Amino acid sequence: MRRIVLLAAALSVAAMPLRADEAVTAPVQGRDAFSRPLPALDPVHRAAFHAGRSLFQQVWTVGPSEVRPDLDGLGPLFNRQSCVACHAKNGRGEPPEGESDSMRSTLVRLSVPGGGAGAAPRPHPVYGDQFNPDGIPGVPGEGRATLVWSERIDRLADGTPVALRRPDLRLGNLGYGPLGPEVMTSVRMAPPLVGLGLLEAVPEADLLALADPDDRDGDGVRGRVNLVWDAARGAFAIGRFGLKANQPSLRQQNAGAFDGDLGLTSPLFPQHGCTAVQTACRAAAGEDAGEAGPELSDEQLDLVTLYTRALAVPARRNTDDPLVRVGEELFAAIGCAACHAPALRTGPSPALPELAGRTIHPYTDLLLHDMGEGLADGLPDFQATGGQWRTPPLWGLGLTAAVTDRPTYLHDGRAHSLLEAILWHSGEAEPAREAVRRMPSLNREALLAFLDSL
Amino acid sequence: MRPLFRRIAVPLLGSALMLGSGTAWALEERVVVMTSYPDDLVQRYEQAFERANPGTDLQIVWKPSRDAAAELAKPDQGGVDVYWTPSLGSFPRMRDAGAFRPLAVDRAVLPGVVDGQMVSDRQGFFEAFEVAGYGLIVNPAALERDKLTQPATWRDLAATRWKGRLALPIAGQVGFSGALYDILLQAEGWEAGWALLGEAAADATLVGSGGQVSESVVNGEADVAVTVDFFARSAIANGHPVALVYPPRTAFLPAQVAITRAAPHPDAARAFVDFVLSAPGQALLFHPDIRRYPVRPDVYTQAPAGTVNPFQRIGAEAYAYDMEKGLNRHGLIAALFDTLIAERQDRLKTLWGAVHAAEAALAAKPDPERAALVSRARTLAGFVPVAGADADRLAPSVQDRRSNRNPEEQAAMRKDWSARIDAAQAEALDLAHRALPTP
Repeated sequence: MRRIVLLAAALSVAAMPLRADEAVTAPVQGRDAFSRPLPALDPVHRAAFHAGRSLFQQVWTVGPSEVRPDLDGLGPLFNRQSCVACHAKNGRGEPPEGESDSMRSTLVRLSVPGGGAGAAPRPHPVYGDQFNPDGIPGVPGEGRATLVWSERIDRLADGTPVALRRPDLRLGNLGYGPLGPEVMTSVRMAPPLVGLGLLEAVPEADLLALADPDDRDGDGVRGRVNLVWDAARGAFAIGRFGLKANQPSLRQQNAGAFDGDLGLTSPLFPQHGCTAVQTACRAAAGEDAGEAGPELSDEQLDLVTLYTRALAVPARRNTDDPLVRVGEELFAAIGCAACHAPALRTGPSPALPELAGRTIHPYTDLLLHDMGEGLADGLPDFQATGGQWRTPPLWGLGLTAAVTDRPTYLHDGRAHSLLEAILWHSGEAEPAREAVRRMPSLNREALLAFLDSL
Repeated sequence: MRPLFRRIAVPLLGSALMLGSGTAWALEERVVVMTSYPDDLVQRYEQAFERANPGTDLQIVWKPSRDAAAELAKPDQGGVDVYWTPSLGSFPRMRDAGAFRPLAVDRAVLPGVVDGQMVSDRQGFFEAFEVAGYGLIVNPAALERDKLTQPATWRDLAATRWKGRLALPIAGQVGFSGALYDILLQAEGWEAGWALLGEAAADATLVGSGGQVSESVVNGEADVAVTVDFFARSAIANGHPVALVYPPRTAFLPAQVAITRAAPHPDAARAFVDFVLSAPGQALLFHPDIRRYPVRPDVYTQAPAGTVNPFQRIGAEAYAYDMEKGLNRHGLIAALFDTLIAERQDRLKTLWGAVHAAEAALAAKPDPERAALVSRARTLAGFVPVAGADADRLAPSVQDRRSNRNPEEQAAMRKDWSARIDAAQAEALDLAHRALPTP
């Protein structure tokens, strides 16, 4: 404790810990910490939130359903049958444990070269832009995806060993022939969903102000916005959702997930993703779609979007703990906060006025950063290169273990702990990672205590 | 423990169920399971089964029970191997239609009886997988704040003035409420039970979504609600400060599992049923997001602290709930709830308000003449247009809201009910007003 006090004095901890806006944070800390509505929701939006949650938890069924035609339309190809299958309790997914296990809350994005600079990924000509293991009756699934893990030992400066595992993607039982040598893949684990509406309400101008693609301030950090296609507006817009910030709005993010993960068409994406050679898929899609319009109605998409927009951020814990306060100082001092921005301000929010004008603490700048070879997936996505990822928000991070049965971190779930996750940082984050590696253990403990308080 | 049934030799399946996790022989590469369980439960079983049986892909086909019945009625039964679902009425009907294979279990570990209730098939075609009880979810802190006694019985729903802080599911809209209300009606008696429900509903918030009933207490919109227990148990396990109360006269009703007659993957089907009935499979039911009761007594040694054991329930009254009778009544209960309560809640509020005022006035100033008026007013306020003696005869003709069979006949019946309810309630209101002391 003495060393912590000294450190705190040295860092002149004048700044108070960041306090959350109580209108948008929930004081719940248990397993439901990621599932509560914004306290500020008005009664009409609260009712819509519950209706949206019901759809989020709904298992969709292969059509036609005599009893619930509003809930049919699954497939023809799909990953999972419900939103909650990947986003259990709105928390992180879990990667497969090994070759004999399957992907359940993790998926594989596919692409081939030739998309062009700044363009959407070019889909694989046979398998499309996402590997869909399952098909409805009569439609072959695309195969089986899993991960095989290999481990190496990294060492901190004091010699402490840390085991780091990395995944090797295995795609087998391919339903439509070989993928070919040109295929590019990206493994993506479901991220937590809290606070998304608040992130959506951060003005574009603020993100542009945070961006520094040419590193004019010389800090080695080159955040840049992703410019992606906004289907509703028919124009390019700043991306802020998805692990590479490749979706401009929550509505499009959700419609994309319904389309890619569950095979449900929507007003935003009215066509199924069957490729030309997937004849059974195309035939089933024709029968599915018919003249009845999209499988997911405008109203259903709106309700699910409101649900994801209105999920509250869990309140921080232990903010007065000296260890946490020291960790918070260290977080800023070693450069983590250069990307994991501690505070943003929301602007107007016509879709959900309760979100407007809030100071929030998401610990993200929503910008793309090069994270180095170790984390690179090699799959470009609009402006994002194969080595760039959007800074993930850190709010709620310390409750991951409370919410998720087997907590893992990073885009593919490779890290078992926050320290492992930090040690995988490279590229623009290399100086910060090295600072952590060299830290006295007590400081590292403080840094992790701070992260645990988020 | 003495086996309740003789073991059934099952040549169709090759051997009796092993009741262990994992299998020693190579299974087919997939098993197709039809269910209407929520994904919170399904995902955990899928993951656990596939990890215990590498190489066998569990494919879930999600269907509401009526869609499932249509699927299993097809010659190939839609390629489905296993039907695994909480749909009490479906299994006997499908068994009688020849949809299932015989299913043998070891009655030494799976007694097939919970809380005195037969929960598995007497003929051996389907087996209970879990049971859920029915009771009250309460917010103890809110009750203490308002100096209200925690309800302990069904009668307490009407004995306390909840001022809108009681949530009741709408019978025609919430799947579990048919069984819930029937348990209450069998426990309290048909006429007395409906009077109790009407009086309680006058002071309640009616809720049209099953999950939202418990959620209304969790999020502070209500202090008490009646519910199937797993919503409440899961809320408690997820850290919410609510409690669950089982009235002494309640019941624990099963969800079941069966292997289809045409199962294309019979070995994998058997492995799946083995797994869900095994000790590890049953212990999964204790997961905080599932919280249903295992049907194997031996896994209760692994139960989280505070878990009620339905095999050894403390405080229960001897109460033989008649599950088959209840199943026939769900449509009738939904129709009566709509006519008597959902469509007349405002009038019930006025009526019961008047009765309560008259009773309070009588208590303050006793008078035998007014007491008779009040007593008659209370009786008429609780009028139900279908007598208990007629309920079982009438029940088969009143289908659930989605079947819509004989719509003209049902409309005429409801019109008759409405007229008789209105007459009884008008008279009750008049009596209650007359029972007030003259100033």
